[in-house]
Amino acid sequence: MKGAMFNIDNGYLEGLCRGFKTGILTQNDYLNLVQCETIEDLKLHLAGTDYGNFLANEPSPISVSTLDDKLREKVVAEFVHMRCHAVEPLSTFLDFITYSYMIDNIVLLITGALHQRPLQELLPKCHPLGSFEQMEAIHIATTPAELYNAVLVDTPLAPFFVDCISEADLDEMNVELIRNTLYKAYLEAFYDFCTQKLGGETAEVMCEILAFEADRRALIITINSFDTELTKEDRARLFPKCGKLYPDGLAALARADDYEQVRSVAEYYAEYQALFAGAGNNPEEKTLEDRFFEYEVKLNVNAFLRQFHYGVFYAYLKLKEQECRNIVWIAECVAQRHRAKIDNYIPIL
Amino acid sequence: MSSLFQSEQMTLCQLFLQSEAAYACVSELGELGLVQFRDLNPDVNAFQRKFVNEVRRCDEMERKLRYLEKEIKKDEIPMLDTGENPDAPQPREMIDLEATFEKLENELREVNQNAEALKRNYLDLTELRHILRKTQVFFDEMGVVTPTSVDSPREDETMGLLEHEHRSSTALQTNKLGFVAGVILRERLPGFERMLWRACRGNVFLRQAEIESPLEDPATGDQVFKTVFIIFFQGDQLKSRVKKICEGFRATLYPCPETPAERREMAIGVMTRIEDLNTVLSQTQDHRHRVLQAAAKNIKTWFIKVRKIKAIYHTLNLFNLDVTQKCLIAEAWVPVTDLENIQIALRRGTERSGSSVPPIINRMESLEEPPTFNRLNKFTRGFQNLVDAYGIASYREVNPAPYTCITFPFLFAVMFGDAGHALIMLAFAAWMVIKENSLIQKNIKSEIWTIFFGGRYILLLMGLFSFYTGIVYNDVFSKSLNIFGSSWNVNISTHVVHEEKNVMLDPVTCFEDHPYPIGVDPVWQVADNKIAFLNAYKMKISIIIGVIHMLFGVSLSLWNHVYFKRPLNIICEFIPQLIFLLFLFMYLNVLVFHKWVWYYAKGGLAAGPHCAPSILITFINMVLFKAGELPDRDCPSAYMFAGQEILQKIFVVVGLLCVPWMLFIKPFVLKSQHGKQMKAHSPLNNVESTDVENGRPNGGHAGQGGHGGHGEEFDFGEIFIHQAIHTIEYVLGSVSHTASYLRLWALSLAHAQLSEVLWSMVMRMGLQQSSYVGSVFLFAIFAFWAVLTVSILVLMEGLSAFLHTLRLHW
Repeated sequence: MKGAMFNIDNGYLEGLCRGFKTGILTQNDYLNLVQCETIEDLKLHLAGTDYGNFLANEPSPISVSTLDDKLREKVVAEFVHMRCHAVEPLSTFLDFITYSYMIDNIVLLITGALHQRPLQELLPKCHPLGSFEQMEAIHIATTPAELYNAVLVDTPLAPFFVDCISEADLDEMNVELIRNTLYKAYLEAFYDFCTQKLGGETAEVMCEILAFEADRRALIITINSFDTELTKEDRARLFPKCGKLYPDGLAALARADDYEQVRSVAEYYAEYQALFAGAGNNPEEKTLEDRFFEYEVKLNVNAFLRQFHYGVFYAYLKLKEQECRNIVWIAECVAQRHRAKIDNYIPIL
Repeated sequence: MSSLFQSEQMTLCQLFLQSEAAYACVSELGELGLVQFRDLNPDVNAFQRKFVNEVRRCDEMERKLRYLEKEIKKDEIPMLDTGENPDAPQPREMIDLEATFEKLENELREVNQNAEALKRNYLDLTELRHILRKTQVFFDEMGVVTPTSVDSPREDETMGLLEHEHRSSTALQTNKLGFVAGVILRERLPGFERMLWRACRGNVFLRQAEIESPLEDPATGDQVFKTVFIIFFQGDQLKSRVKKICEGFRATLYPCPETPAERREMAIGVMTRIEDLNTVLSQTQDHRHRVLQAAAKNIKTWFIKVRKIKAIYHTLNLFNLDVTQKCLIAEAWVPVTDLENIQIALRRGTERSGSSVPPIINRMESLEEPPTFNRLNKFTRGFQNLVDAYGIASYREVNPAPYTCITFPFLFAVMFGDAGHALIMLAFAAWMVIKENSLIQKNIKSEIWTIFFGGRYILLLMGLFSFYTGIVYNDVFSKSLNIFGSSWNVNISTHVVHEEKNVMLDPVTCFEDHPYPIGVDPVWQVADNKIAFLNAYKMKISIIIGVIHMLFGVSLSLWNHVYFKRPLNIICEFIPQLIFLLFLFMYLNVLVFHKWVWYYAKGGLAAGPHCAPSILITFINMVLFKAGELPDRDCPSAYMFAGQEILQKIFVVVGLLCVPWMLFIKPFVLKSQHGKQMKAHSPLNNVESTDVENGRPNGGHAGQGGHGGHGEEFDFGEIFIHQAIHTIEYVLGSVSHTASYLRLWALSLAHAQLSEVLWSMVMRMGLQQSSYVGSVFLFAIFAFWAVLTVSILVLMEGLSAFLHTLRLHW
C-alpha cells in the first residue's frame, strides 16, 4: 500500500533514477579506462558507456577541464530533469540537496573576491546546481552582516546564515568559519527535514548517510584545525550535531590536540575505527579522505537496496559526483603521463 | 526456391585480404550486404584496435558535418536529398574530404565570429539608442521635479525619499546627482531592484522603462526582452557599489551625457552608426548564406560517405592481423549460393585498389550454429517481419513466412468479413503499391506511415481476402446483396404479412432446394434469428480453420525433423502430436461436416432437424465418457452414426495415451543412447589424452571437434523437465488454441454487429426523413456515417483484427 502511494507521485522519478544508476561505470569500465593512452582513448571508451556521445561535438584535442565540464553538465541535466518533474515533498528534498552546492558557491565567490579575482573567472567554477540569482552580486559585501542583509536574505540559505552574522570582516579565516557554520546548520536542517517531515524509509536511509556526513565533517574539521588559530571553543561550535559522534564523541573531539587523539575517539565507533585503521599517508596506504569517500560510496550504494524512499536521489547524485571525480582523476593522470597513482580512484560497486 | 521455405545455407569463410586491398574489398562487400563478419578480437579494447585512428578521424569529420548541418538548419536552407547512394570513397579521398570539411568549418566559424561581433556591436548600439530615448523622459521629469521641490503630483514614495535626501544635502548642487544608465534582462529586474535597495539602504533612485521589441542575444541567437534603467545616487561610494551590483546582475552600462544637447548629438551619431552596421551585417549574412547553401547541396552525400568509411573501418577492426602484417584475416558467414558473387566483389575490390595478389577465400568447417538468413523481396519482407517479431527460426529451420503470406490475410479476412470495408482497405493498399516508387522517394518519416507503408502488401492481401469473405458472409457495409435472387420463396399472402409482425419461413415449404450460389442467402439479413444462425455457422467455421491451421503447423515440424534427421523426434513428438490433434480435434471437424451434410429440413426422422445433436455437448460427453442424451424423444439415437460411441472412446483413449508417449519416451531413449555413447567413447578419450601426453600436437580442428562433440554435459533431469514443459505446453496449447480460434467467430460477429449498429443508428436516421430537408440532413448524416465507418470500422476494427490474427499465428 505504501509502495502504491509512493508510486503515485514518485514512481516515475524513482524508476528514472534507478535507471540512471545502472548507467554508472562498472569496475570493468574502470579497468579499461585505466589502460587509456590519451584522452581521445578515454573519450572513445566513454562513448561506449551510458555517457554516449556527450563529447562528440567537442573539437579535439579535448582538455581535462572540458571533460570535467561535460561530465558535470550531464549529471546536472539529469538532476534538473528530475527536479522539474518532482512534486512536494520530493521537490523540497531535491532543493535541500542543492543547498550544499550553494554554500560552496558562496564561499568560492567570497574567497575569490578576497583574492581580487575577476568575477568572470570565478563564475564558470561555480557548480550549476548551486547557482542563484543574487549569486553574482555577492562581492559587494564586506562583512558577514552585509552579506546576509544584501544577498542571502532572499535565498533559502538565509536561516542557516543567522548563526554567523558578526561584525567581523570577511577574511580567509572567517570565510572558512562561515562555510563550516553554514554546513553545520544545513546538515542539521536537512537531518531534521528527513526525520520530521519525511520519516519512514527515507529517514532511515538518509539519517545513515547524513550522520556519516556530519561525523566526517567533525573529524576533518578537528584534524585540519591543529596548528591554526582556531580556538577549541570555536571548533566545537562548528561540529554538526546530527551524527553518531554526538554528543560524547564530539565532546571528546573538542578536547583533542593531535591526530592520535582523534584516532582514539574514532576507536569507540566501529565503522570509523575501520576507516582510521587502514588510512595513512604512505604511498601504498590510502589517505583518510579516500577511506571516507569509499565509505560514503558504500552507504550510497546501500541506499539503492531499499525501495520507496527519496534517498536514492541523493545517493545517485553523490555516486555520480564520485564517478566524475574518478574519471577526471584518471584523465588527469593520463594527460600528465603520471600513471603511478592512476589506480587511486574510488570504485563504485 | 528452397530459400523461401528454409533459411539460406550458410558457411563460415576465412578471407585473406591484402592490407592494401582490404579497404576496397570490404567496401565492395558492404555494398553487397551478404556477409556477416565475426569479431576475431573480442577481448581487445575499442581504443586498442588497429584502425582506431581512422575511426576517430571519421568521428571528427562527422562532428564537422553535424556542425554544418546545425548551421544550415538554423538558416532554414533546404538540404538537397537526391537519394543517391555514393560509393565509399577511397582512403586517399578521405584526406580531401577532411580538408574540405576543415575549410568549410573554419570559414563558417570565422563568419559566425564576425557576425557575432557585429551583432554584439549592433546590440550595444540599439541598447544605447533605447537608453537615450527612454532616459530623455526621466530627465525631463527630473527637470520638472527637482527645482519645484516636494509638491509634484507625480512623486511616489521613492521619489519622496530622494527628495528628502536631496534637500538634506542642501541646495548646493541641486542637479548634481550622479547617475548611471544601462540595460538589464527584464526578468532580473525585480531582484536587481531589491538588491539595490538593500545594499544602498534606499539611498538610490531607480527609474526603468521596458524596451518593447525583443533584442537578439548575439551569443545564443535567442530573442530576449530587456529593460532600460537609470539609477540616481549621490557620492562616489554609492557609485562604486551600484556599479558592482550592476556587474553582478549582468547589466550593461552605457555612458550617458548629462546635457540634453549632448544627448541629442549622441543619439544622431548612434543612429548613423546603426545604419552603417546594418549594411555590413546584411553583407555578412549574405556571405554566410552563400557558404551554407553551397554546403547544403552536398551535405547528405558527405554524410553517407563519411558513414561508409566509418563502417568500413569498424569492420576492418574486427579482422585479425597476419603474422607478417601483409594481410588481414577475416572470418565471415556467407550464404553458400552467393559465394560466387562475393568472389566477384572481392576481385572488383582488388582491381580497384590496384593490388596484384588476389584475395583468398576459404570455406571453413565450424560447429557453431550459423546465423539465419532469409532472402527477402519487398513482398515477403512484411510477412517475414511479422514472423520474426515472434521469434527468428534457427538455422535451416522451416521458415513459416511463405505460408503466413496466405494464412495471415485469410484469418484476418475471416474476422474482417465485410466487402465494403474491405474495398476501402484494398483501395488504400493498392494506392500504396502502385505509387510505391514515388512514395519511397518522399521518404516520410512519420512512424504510423512507415508501419502502414511497410505492410502495404499485407494490407493488399488482407483487403483482397476480406473482400472474398465479405462476399461469402454477404456483408457490404452490413447490408446484403441480392445478386442471384434468394433461394427462399415467401409464399405467404400479403395481408398476413401486414397483420403479423413476425412470419416464420418453414424451410420445408419455402426453400427452393438449391442453395444461393455463393455465400449466405440474403434472406437472412431480414431474419430475426440471423445472429443465431450466423453464430453457429461462424463458430464452426472458425474451429475448422483453427484445427486445420494447427495441423498444418504440426506437419511443418515434420519437415524440420526430417531435415535435421531426428527420427526420435518424429516418433516421440510428431506422431503423438498428430494423433492427439487428429483424434480429438479433427474428429470434431468431421462431426461438424457430418452434421452439415446429414441433417436437413426434409431429412425424415433420423436426419431431421429435431434430431441433430449439439456438437459441443457431444464433444464434451466424448471426453468425459458420458453417454449421449437424446436430443428429442422421437429420435432413434443420440449419436449421428452407428458405432460412434465405440469410436469416440477409442479416440479419447488413444489421444490421451499420446500424452505419456510424448512425455516419457524421448528422455529415456536419450538417456540410454547417452549411456551407449559414453561406453563407446571412453576408450577414445583415453587415446586422445595419451596423445597429448606424448607431446604430439593435436590438430586444432580435431581438438575442436572432439570438444564440441562430447563437451556438453548430459543432464537427465533437465531434459526431462524440458520435455515435460514441452508436452504440457502442447496439450494445453492445443485445447486453448482451439478455443482461441473461436475469436475468429467472436470478432467477425462483433465486426458485423458494429457495422450494423452504425447503419441502423446513424444512416437510417437520415434515410427516414421524407421532406426536402431530409436530403440535406442525409448529406450531413452520410458524412458522419462515412467518417465513422472509416475510422472505427476500417481502422480500429482492422487493427484489432490484425492483432488477433497475429496472436493466432503465434
